Amino acid sequence: MSRTSPILRLRVVAMANPPTDINEVLSQRIKEAEDVCVADSASKECAVAWDEVEELSAEIAHKRVKEGAKKDPLEEFCKDAPEADECRVYED
Amino acid sequence: MANIKLTFPSSPSSSTSMQTLLPLRAGFYGAPLLSSSPSSGHLLVPGHSSGKRYKLFVCTASSTEQPVIIGLAADSGCGKSTFMRRLTSVFGGAATPPKGGNPDSNTLISDTTTVICLDDYHSLDRNGRKRENVTALDPRANNFDLMCEQVKAIKEGRPIEKPIYNHVTGLLDPPETILPPKIFVIEGLHPMFDARVRELLDFSIYLDISDEVKFAWKIQRDMAERGHSLESIKASIAARKPDFDAYIDPQKQHADVVIQVLPTRLIPDDNEGKILRVRMIMKEGIPNFKPVYLFDEGSTISWIPCGRKLTCSYPGIQFSYGPDVYYDNEVSVLEMDGQFDKLDELIYVESHLSNLSTKFYGEITQQMLKHADFPGSNNGTGFFQTVVGLKIRDVYEALRAEEAATPLKSAKA
Repeated sequence: MSRTSPILRLRVVAMANPPTDINEVLSQRIKEAEDVCVADSASKECAVAWDEVEELSAEIAHKRVKEGAKKDPLEEFCKDAPEADECRVYED
Repeated sequence: MANIKLTFPSSPSSSTSMQTLLPLRAGFYGAPLLSSSPSSGHLLVPGHSSGKRYKLFVCTASSTEQPVIIGLAADSGCGKSTFMRRLTSVFGGAATPPKGGNPDSNTLISDTTTVICLDDYHSLDRNGRKRENVTALDPRANNFDLMCEQVKAIKEGRPIEKPIYNHVTGLLDPPETILPPKIFVIEGLHPMFDARVRELLDFSIYLDISDEVKFAWKIQRDMAERGHSLESIKASIAARKPDFDAYIDPQKQHADVVIQVLPTRLIPDDNEGKILRVRMIMKEGIPNFKPVYLFDEGSTISWIPCGRKLTCSYPGIQFSYGPDVYYDNEVSVLEMDGQFDKLDELIYVESHLSNLSTKFYGEITQQMLKHADFPGSNNGTGFFQTVVGLKIRDVYEALRAEEAATPLKSAKA
């Protein structure tokens, strides 16, 4: 059997990745914050942990709003081509 | 679009007067802000012996058109907030993230307005903050020198390379280029914290949400998320409160307008936070800013519009207006408690308020209807946010008018 070209094999090295799903990360951070704050709820570490939770929660909420704001395809089209026939507006 | 050339007989030292000028863009209200007709004005150049007259063609070299800088302090994250969407809508056009750039960019750009998120000036990313044990609210996590330098650059008409703070990864991403827009809004936790940045702001707003309302809103926002519970939301607010009170809250005294959101007084024990009492605290004596008033400026008024001419559903609407002192500043406070349920109520209220800065009857109602799906569209938050948008428009137009007057002055000098 002849090989016309060397076959390159890519070896994907599995790395220990942090969970990429932001919701997963949020759940993790909430648990961590609760643990940190058990010792001293007024400590800096506690504030920092909950601050991170707040940041993630805000970002998740923003993404949810962005997804929800998926608009009507006609509106999207008319934004770029307001002079098109389909986009005519009548004011009687 | 007209190509306008401005010529002077003997060139003054300034080189801009001899430049071929940029094409005159139609103002965003659909009509040119400055007249482009040759007969728009005549310029007498003193010192010229024959006293010749020169026709002044419109002159707007972009370096003299200073962007208007607005600061907005809010705890709810950046750029995608309802306030910003209403604001950009007043000026026309939808604000979208920069096309073709980092998908996690926090910046919003419309035809006239660019909104940047001050989180982009974090000096410490999420790991850094954990390491140094500081929250994002702490000034130590933010690079105020860079913030000042870049806001100044925009104000002077120069583009900037602004870092991007990625809220998803918690890292600082490579910078994006921001060009000076007509209106530049800096939104975030610390727009008025640094005195040098405060000097650069033409107008500033602080969104002050009371603890009870904040709690109710965060419950609405987060309860659906796996992992969150009533306790975790409560704990999160409580843990951040010391830093918030120390670093963020004091900015209130520097704001030109504070929009304070409180629970309603119309329903006893309403803890759902659905009906809101919203107060617009407006500083007196700010250039180009005329506070809104009800019936008689400077007096104290209490007004319930619902009655014979207007029927409202429970719990109705209550307004009050009056002068006050806020952190040693003279202010006027306009307050709205309750909800709009019908179009009639909105237009009725709008027609009885004064100094709203509307350009036509019903402009606020129209703006509110345009975004009827936005949160706050039926109460004082949406109403006052829209009013603030119009006030910013006033500031913008006043500054443009001032600039249009100065080239004439400098040419005469």
